[in-house]
Amino acid sequence: MNSQDLLLDVKDLRIFFFTDEGVVKAVNGVDMKIHRGRTLCLVGESGCGKSVACRAFLNIIRSPGRIVTGEMKYYRQTGNGQQDVIDIAKLDPRGKQIRQIRGKEISMIFQEPMTSLSMMHTIGDQIMESVLLHNQVTKAEARRRAIEMLDRVGMPKPERIVDEYPFRLSGGMRQRAMIAMALSCNPSLLIADEPTTALDVTTQAQIVDLIRDLQQQLNMSVLYITHDLGVVAEVADDVAVMYLGKIVEFGDVETVFHHPKHPYTQALLRSIPKISREREELDPIQGMVPSPFRRPTGCQFHPRCTQAMEKCSQIEPRVTTVGENHTVQCLLYENL
Amino acid sequence: MTNPIPHTGLQPALQMGNPENLLEVTGLKKHFPIIKGVFAAAQGYVKAVDDVSFSIRKGETLGLVGESGCGKTTAGRCIVRAYPVTAGQMLYQLRDESVVDLAAVPEKELSPFRRDIRMIFQDPYSSLNPRMTIFEAVSEVLRVNNLCSPSEMRDRVEALLKRVGLRPEYMQRYPHAFSGGERQRIVVARALITNPRLVVCDEAVSALDVSIRAQILNLLEELQADFDLTYLFISHDLSVIRHICDRVVVMYVGKVVEVADALDLYTRPRHPYTEALLSAVPIADPRGRETRKHIHLQGEIADPSNPPSGCYFHPRCKFAQQVCREQTPELRTVGKNRQAACHFAESIQLQGVIS
Ligand SMILES: Nc1ncnc2c1ncn2[C@@H]1O[C@H](COP(=O)(O)OP(=O)(O)O)[C@@H](O)[C@H]1O
Ligand SMILES: Nc1ncnc2c1ncn2[C@@H]1O[C@H](COP(=O)(O)OP(=O)(O)O)[C@@H](O)[C@H]1O
Ligand code: SF4
Ligand SMILES: [Mg+2]
Ligand SMILES: [Mg+2]
Repeated sequence: MNSQDLLLDVKDLRIFFFTDEGVVKAVNGVDMKIHRGRTLCLVGESGCGKSVACRAFLNIIRSPGRIVTGEMKYYRQTGNGQQDVIDIAKLDPRGKQIRQIRGKEISMIFQEPMTSLSMMHTIGDQIMESVLLHNQVTKAEARRRAIEMLDRVGMPKPERIVDEYPFRLSGGMRQRAMIAMALSCNPSLLIADEPTTALDVTTQAQIVDLIRDLQQQLNMSVLYITHDLGVVAEVADDVAVMYLGKIVEFGDVETVFHHPKHPYTQALLRSIPKISREREELDPIQGMVPSPFRRPTGCQFHPRCTQAMEKCSQIEPRVTTVGENHTVQCLLYENL
Repeated sequence: MTNPIPHTGLQPALQMGNPENLLEVTGLKKHFPIIKGVFAAAQGYVKAVDDVSFSIRKGETLGLVGESGCGKTTAGRCIVRAYPVTAGQMLYQLRDESVVDLAAVPEKELSPFRRDIRMIFQDPYSSLNPRMTIFEAVSEVLRVNNLCSPSEMRDRVEALLKRVGLRPEYMQRYPHAFSGGERQRIVVARALITNPRLVVCDEAVSALDVSIRAQILNLLEELQADFDLTYLFISHDLSVIRHICDRVVVMYVGKVVEVADALDLYTRPRHPYTEALLSAVPIADPRGRETRKHIHLQGEIADPSNPPSGCYFHPRCKFAQQVCREQTPELRTVGKNRQAACHFAESIQLQGVIS
């Protein structure tokens, strides 16, 4: 992949929450590359920093949280083969530039559609508002676009749904409406934060298929956040595995599932029940995720790692390249 | 220790259909009245559980699976008699092999059965009282019913906490000091303190993270072997169900649509709803994902207060014929150890997820 394919290049991102009890290093040195037209899955157990990281990409971190260091270079295509480079970390969170990007070039959907849909306005009004805000079009054109988007996300009778209020729709339909709204401005990046976690499996399957189809049709990039390794295996091109604020392994989906290098990734895959002929025994990861105020020294995974060496409690692992498009943060692979 | 259960003497001649069964549920119904306004009469009923039959064999883990709102929790709560049932029979075989209909036991005679049959809930945060220490929470049933001396109680709580992987030194602490996984261990100890025979696990691992979920699943399997437990394992997660269950009951809108041995169900489902449900499960292996197809069901799950005519699944079913709109299919035997409620269960070829 050459640099023209790069959409977002995140380097050494650190986001800390300064609370009365102490500092929570929610995102603690994250490097991540999102490529054009690909789906990256960010996977990890709850509290590892997935939501905080992706909110940073829209520069919507709220106090007591703060982006402490790092850069988030956004490569914007300007037509005629040129591109601008904007460091999102440097933008004023309330400024004009980020507001142009947010919701138009990078848009986001959430687990709970009601966090981004208003009860008070019809679905159509909400999609039109976003279209009118970001595009020079007439109201009639915006409405036409809203109906088209609703149709595109598989909403039955879009000409009718456009005038419905969100509370009249089922959970799955609301999720579709939110996706329609997020995609109405043709974003280059869609960030989906656990969009199907609250849904039943049959609805989840429809939404997952929908996001995958739209990703291909619109050739956008998708950052899909989930804790479900099954969903990862279904949608990802690339996978980033997160543990305590760090990306411990990154690789393409085939590599991460079939040739994982990091002991945490390996352990995660051994601990999920699989649907197979033989009922395999689960091999759980020992212990639990430590409190954010008592993070282990050295490699943060060392107290739970079955392959830990003496130095693991003393030395912090660096990002090591172990193959094409495949990196890990683990001392087993340093200085080989 | 065993819990002596007095013979209620109400139903002297009851017999299990099969002596291997611990529980036989027949024609179970739980309808909740829809009441708007304080004095209004019921404007209809939510048929949460509507003519459900299944049995649980001694020592097995029976899965109860289906999408949210299909009546799983309500069925579980009927079995522990959290509320009176609308209709039906729940034959329970006691330790001395006599049989009682749990649906007919009067409220004031329920307490011995409530020790024999326990329930574990999904949310380890709301199922523990924040103002009770761990010792108080785990020993509550013993204390309330005066079942043993204080020193025996202490010993039992201590031993059980150890067995579920908690340190007894911490038993004077309050729930907030524990993580989600630890709380679920406490909830398990609280259920097992009475030496139950049947445990209804309602989404017992659904709220837990992957690594903790595996720990608790393993723990439940060990405890089952150690204490001779029978589980009714309620979950919407078909991967977990495959892992832990011997047999599976599939529900749709208050009704059982299929019952089968787990491997048979996943290999070759016999009900179109089961097929669709299985096809939707995300498989944690990217290989072959291009060839896996999710079945997209039309429309929404039916409303249990206003279900469709005939087969409740017919508006979404690609095999539906006129008869499906007119007649409700009975749950009937369609093969060895398996039942399905579909007019065409024998003739349609359905796809499983295990080859
Ligand atoms: N407003 C906040 N104040 C303090 N800590 C926070 C806040 N928001 C998030 N955190 C902490 O940041 C960490 C990462 O949270 P989050 O990104 O939400 O995790 P995930 O999405 O992976 O479950 C957690 O330890 C969480 O407690
Ligand atoms: N106490 C109650 N009063 C009225 N309706 C109820 C009550 N409990 C459950 N229901 C309804 O019964 C149906 C089945 O619910 P439930 O048993 O919780 O389903 P599941 O556990 O499969 O998600 C749902 O439509 C639910 O809204
Ligand atoms: S009875 Fe008819 S509608 Fe119901 S599942 Fe079978 S074929 Fe489909
Ligand atoms: Mg999150
Ligand atoms: Mg339930």
